[in-house]
Amino acid sequence: MAGLNGDPFLGIDDNIEKLQYNNNSKEGIDKEGLVVGIGEDSSNNKNNNQGGEKDMAGNSIHRSGSRPQLDLSKAEIQGNSEERDPTILLPNQTDDISHLALDIGGSLIKLVYFSRREDQSVDDKRKKTVKERLGISNGNRRNFPVLGGRLHFVKFETSKLNECLDFISSKQLHRGGIDSHHWNSEAPANENAVIKATGGGAYKFADLFKERLGVSIDKEDEMDCLVAGANFLLKAIRHEAFTHMEGHKEFVQIDHNDLFPYLLVNIGSGVSIIKVDGDGKFQRVSGTNVGGGTYWGLGRLLTKCNSFDELLELSQRGDNRTIDMLVGDIYGGMDYSKIGLSASTIASSFGKAISDKKELQDYRPEDISLSLLRMISYNIGQISYLNALRFGLKRIFFGGFFIRGHAYTMDTISFAVHFWSKGEAQAMFLRHEGFLGAVGAFMSYQKHGLDDLMVHHLVERFPMGAPYTGGKIHGPPLGDLNEKASIMEFCLTNMRQFMLYSISWMEKFVLKGTEITAPVPMAPPGTTGLGGFEVPSSRGATLRSDASALNVGVLHLVPTLEVFPLLADPKMYVI
Amino acid sequence: MANICLQATGGGAYKFADLFKEKLSVSLDKEDEMECLVTGANFLLKAVHQEAFTYLDGQKEFAQIDPNDLYPYLLVNIGSGVSMIKVDGDGKFERVSGTSLGGGTFWGLGRLLTKCKNFDELLELSHQGNNRVIDMLVGDIYGGTDYAKIGLSATTIASSFGKAISDNKELVDYKPEDISRSLLRMISNNIGQISYLNALRFGLKRIFFAGFFIRGHAYTMDTISVAVNFWSKGEAEAMFLRHEGFLGALGAFMSYEKQCPDGLTVNKVPQRFPISVSSAGNKIYCSMNGKSNGNESIECTVYGT
Repeated sequence: MAGLNGDPFLGIDDNIEKLQYNNNSKEGIDKEGLVVGIGEDSSNNKNNNQGGEKDMAGNSIHRSGSRPQLDLSKAEIQGNSEERDPTILLPNQTDDISHLALDIGGSLIKLVYFSRREDQSVDDKRKKTVKERLGISNGNRRNFPVLGGRLHFVKFETSKLNECLDFISSKQLHRGGIDSHHWNSEAPANENAVIKATGGGAYKFADLFKERLGVSIDKEDEMDCLVAGANFLLKAIRHEAFTHMEGHKEFVQIDHNDLFPYLLVNIGSGVSIIKVDGDGKFQRVSGTNVGGGTYWGLGRLLTKCNSFDELLELSQRGDNRTIDMLVGDIYGGMDYSKIGLSASTIASSFGKAISDKKELQDYRPEDISLSLLRMISYNIGQISYLNALRFGLKRIFFGGFFIRGHAYTMDTISFAVHFWSKGEAQAMFLRHEGFLGAVGAFMSYQKHGLDDLMVHHLVERFPMGAPYTGGKIHGPPLGDLNEKASIMEFCLTNMRQFMLYSISWMEKFVLKGTEITAPVPMAPPGTTGLGGFEVPSSRGATLRSDASALNVGVLHLVPTLEVFPLLADPKMYVI
Repeated sequence: MANICLQATGGGAYKFADLFKEKLSVSLDKEDEMECLVTGANFLLKAVHQEAFTYLDGQKEFAQIDPNDLYPYLLVNIGSGVSMIKVDGDGKFERVSGTSLGGGTFWGLGRLLTKCKNFDELLELSHQGNNRVIDMLVGDIYGGTDYAKIGLSATTIASSFGKAISDNKELVDYKPEDISRSLLRMISNNIGQISYLNALRFGLKRIFFAGFFIRGHAYTMDTISVAVNFWSKGEAEAMFLRHEGFLGALGAFMSYEKQCPDGLTVNKVPQRFPISVSSAGNKIYCSMNGKSNGNESIECTVYGT
């Protein structure tokens, strides 16, 4: 297998430093001689590294000063092209930071957690079962001790809070994670454990968390977190924001000096519309109660769908003209051109359903779903635009899990903004749409040290199948949508050579045609990601008609060139 | 037989022109809908004594409209769909906005969800409804408390129909009254909000709501008024018209003056009220006792040549 550095598919920049990977080593060593916790060969998988640094050195390694620092420098995205909860690698994270932040909303719980290293083999089986049962995938399970870790993103339904609690408990996230050197199964739970949470549920479920996990919730303001999360993602991740019109997606280059002000529209159960003027400078100027919860709730009542995704899926095959009253229906097939309304403009959503010739069961659920989707998307687009206009804002960023990368939704919202603004304003979407609050809450652990935060451009890593040239994403999704493949796994298990990416991007990742020849280790679906070696069959994988090939990778922090302190005592390391 | 010509506006003037010809041997003289709405509104506001009123906290109060201080204003006509028109003078207007979430939406969704037979039945149901069963309130998300920091009380609706996502209940488990009320609230709030955003945009303080969505229904008017009051922080005022749904027809009626093969002319109704009745043509009676009912009529004069 060719080394990654030479791999034509990756088209890596020449500037990329190469990581020399010692044959039997468990870590990669970059050219500066730094030990970078990358992981190990699959052959060495059965290792007994417990608790990260502690095992390596036999004693805990804690380099920080009085307060653990969050080092987001060189954070980069990593993950499967279709992965919806892409992990972020933070290779510079040396201190033991708190591991978990939550955004508990009306319908969904969004979770961001940090793992220093992958889960241990000893408890693998047990945890694997728990996760399999919960259907939660966990990225790769390689061990890589020491430096760095990952930010993972998971979501649960608020009504299934117990699953979330189980998840946290099984990974011991509330105690700093099973990989932390603090963790010791025999040690008593830390009574003063605090986790950051935002959203209404931070208040509503505070007692439950105390009871079930023994942690206190440190409540962060929802708006603060949304804005902090959005600002971070927009500044730190290169390809976070994109436009999506008429099926065409295009990433937007955000100039840091020209980011503010902008309008942030978070579409959750309800909608919040926030004018953002700077870091920590914002005002919630509006909102609407016709949001994602309305779509889901009305949709459920009308179509008996069991989930939001099912409802969205239905809409793809719908035809709203059976249900919506169009201008043409009122005007006998003609436009009302005098006021600029074409015959196909919707005059009244669900207007045809007043007819007493048909009952609910006579309508196709697909049509109902589409009408609902259009109604709500147009409405949100319109209200967002009216508010942008009010404050002279040209850019509107849409976040929240209503959109979830659904092409038609984005097109509809874009169209509405375009229509009402006569092309003046632009709708933009965020790849980590639903996790803004959780990211903001996670970052609030470091609220005091925010100035010290070095947020470099984030490097996004994609496994094969996500050609990503010049900011445009092409190509079919990589295999099964649920599979999580990380470039890290790819590197680890296939390569002797290991690439260390500096600030140059993986954007040169090119897919030749639709074929991927390098096998990418994939987690068998439904498991926790103990890499197998499936060759992703990108050929023939048909793109869902609504899938906009949204590639959300894991955020990786690329290791810096700072001398790795552990090297001070090399004999402590197993080489 | 003389060719009878009728003024008609709305989409049906185009859509059903042939049918009128066929069944009644009349030609429809098509008038622009927006123009008729505005003409009708201007006429009513200037000519009819107690046409416009506010409705807040269950209190109806007629507004004294000074004809010299009428313009500009925002006219929001809530029919199947909604048109929002900025009116600057007689015949001077611009349709600035609209929304597809209107009366048709309420009726259509309501019919699908409750099996009501007509709009009035649906409205009737909403009287006894409790929207908290179906709507997700701020308090539901925040564990009973307000989100005071951003000015949302615990009873503010965070997400209409947000509770219906629960898989513990099916459609049949919800009371049609609650569904109707939630729907009404959702549509009324939304219209109130968009109306206000447009009024703000053009610096308009008065918003007149027309169209048959409201039909004098107290809860509807209250909801719209509260929405406008909330979003405008008391700056803007929601007003309603007693002849809410007839603006277009009135406007079309007024347009006879402009052209008619028979030479029938209609003088603009004098501004004082009540107006004397002439025997030349149609006589319509009006009961001005302050109570609004569906059979109101306006006395006016129609002169035939």
